[in-house]
Amino acid sequence: MSLLHRGIHRLGYAWIAVKDSRLLKTRKFYTSELGLLETGSEPHRVTFRCWHEPYKFSFVVDHRDTPGLVEIGFHVRDDNDLDSFQKKLAEAGVTVERADANSVLQGLGKSIAFTVPAGPRIRLFATMDMLGYVSGYEGPDWVAPKALRGMAAPLNINHVAFTSPDPAQANAFFSDVLGFLASEKVVDEAGKTISSLLFRMAKNVGGQEVAIYPGKEVKLHHVAFTKEDASDIMADGYYLRSDGVAIDLLGPLRQPYGNTFSLHFYDSNGIRLELCSGGRMTEVHPEIQPVVWSKAHLREALSYYDEALVPEEFFLPCV
Amino acid sequence: MAVTRLSYMSIYALDIAASEKHYTDVVGLRVTGRQLGQVYLQAHESQDHHCIILNASDRAGLDHVGFKVSDINDLTEAEIAARDWGLVTRRIASADILGQGDGLMITLPSGHVFNLFYHSEKVGYSYGMKDPDIILDHVDGISPVTHLDHALLAGNDCDKSVKFLMEALDFNLTETILGPDGSSFAFFLTTSSTVHNLAFAPGPPNSLHHIAFYVNDRADVIRRVDMLKHRKITTLDYGISRHGIGGVTTTYFFDPSGNRNEFQCGIYEAPTIRGNVPPIVWAGEHIPRGAFYYESAVPANFFEVVT
Repeated sequence: MSLLHRGIHRLGYAWIAVKDSRLLKTRKFYTSELGLLETGSEPHRVTFRCWHEPYKFSFVVDHRDTPGLVEIGFHVRDDNDLDSFQKKLAEAGVTVERADANSVLQGLGKSIAFTVPAGPRIRLFATMDMLGYVSGYEGPDWVAPKALRGMAAPLNINHVAFTSPDPAQANAFFSDVLGFLASEKVVDEAGKTISSLLFRMAKNVGGQEVAIYPGKEVKLHHVAFTKEDASDIMADGYYLRSDGVAIDLLGPLRQPYGNTFSLHFYDSNGIRLELCSGGRMTEVHPEIQPVVWSKAHLREALSYYDEALVPEEFFLPCV
Repeated sequence: MAVTRLSYMSIYALDIAASEKHYTDVVGLRVTGRQLGQVYLQAHESQDHHCIILNASDRAGLDHVGFKVSDINDLTEAEIAARDWGLVTRRIASADILGQGDGLMITLPSGHVFNLFYHSEKVGYSYGMKDPDIILDHVDGISPVTHLDHALLAGNDCDKSVKFLMEALDFNLTETILGPDGSSFAFFLTTSSTVHNLAFAPGPPNSLHHIAFYVNDRADVIRRVDMLKHRKITTLDYGISRHGIGGVTTTYFFDPSGNRNEFQCGIYEAPTIRGNVPPIVWAGEHIPRGAFYYESAVPANFFEVVT
């Protein structure tokens, strides 16, 4: 049978680094403020998952002297996919490192890692340890665990946004080599891509697993988590603000670029996070067409309500 | 490559003008094409040519279901697979259905007919694909439904149809309901990352239980129930509810021919690939809560009424 969903089928994890030597502030923020579940720790590392996720982790935080994005992990179907990607990456002139199971991250199967030209480090894997749904598999209440209520407790990781000194090059690599499709993009006067939202999943709150923004260097812009809808996000904003969490200038944001309703804020180490809802229903099909924004309409693309307040430095990385 | 997603439902309409009015004014779709005895409609935030085909008929129910594939050669592979499974197939030309390319019709063991096809003409989002103003005036200030989300089909031998879809076409089972004997009698299947593109339950041969349209916000589902009641549209006994299965906010109502529709909001992220995450199982005392979470009871006519 060859009618198979091959290649990348899911955003596996975002792996970031912060300067927090015992990761105490980090643990406290993510488990008692954002509402993730801690699933593992090693010296200088803690892993988390969202309550609706069955896999061991979707978010990894290291203590390192240089904070920022470490890598993004994507789940592929099986070892055949790893082999065919290794070949394809080699053909594209990219150095690929193979890693054994559990050698890079506890609970991760064997993997291949590489760096996208003008983009971040990516790791592809075919298996990850599964802790199972917290609500169980028999007649589950698909409801956030009581201990997480009153916090945002997002259901899933949604996307990772990074800046690139050459967004068109990074965009082309994600598309041509990794099979991503664009749901939306921004082009300059010459028609060159300066930003894009790329997907491999067809999910509700969909349209992006990675977002490429223009910038001087390859840096983390934000990590986004999925919420059910706008009313939830408004309430999440109360909880975060009442606990003194720094919320982005624009507050609750209807963002035409990506068709999301979202809130951006900062963790205890200055990492920018997003809670998002809405999005687009996408289809992993070569004929899908992106929404195209011209640079002249960028402000209204970034904020439907507060376009005049969109700061010049909107695309600056967080750390 | 692979089956990508549920693309459209081709259904019968007793009074096609009344049905067109229902799917535009009540559901909130737009008309994208017409030919003799047919009306084609699409959601405002979907870019393919249609998600509903209305066919003038003297009966209600389902004509066929359209699924897209991501490679034109998939049609030949699916044809070979279907014949290996002993299923009847037939090729259709692009001219047979407005707005789309060549297709492969497969009759499933449950009698339902699927049309697999690769190409759809693009009508784009209603607000355009370039520098759009994403807010539309339609449907009394309620955000329009964004897309066709899923359908529940009913019939005999659904387990055989499910087996074919899973083993030959790579559908994944996300949740299932078990009967007293421990075997599955209802199946929730996906080809993407949503809880279901298609579901099957027992019922009269080749019948349709409902067609679901996606709403982006629970507040909009509530407002939609208000409008259904205000407009005297026939609804299910429970005005608004939540399915325990999938954890989605929902309301049901009927089109003028008696075909059941649903508005649904829920962001369940499902495993696309078979064999990774075990399916969720609903059995025995859990079933009423799985069907209707708040009420934990199933209305008497919920499973019986199909078209």
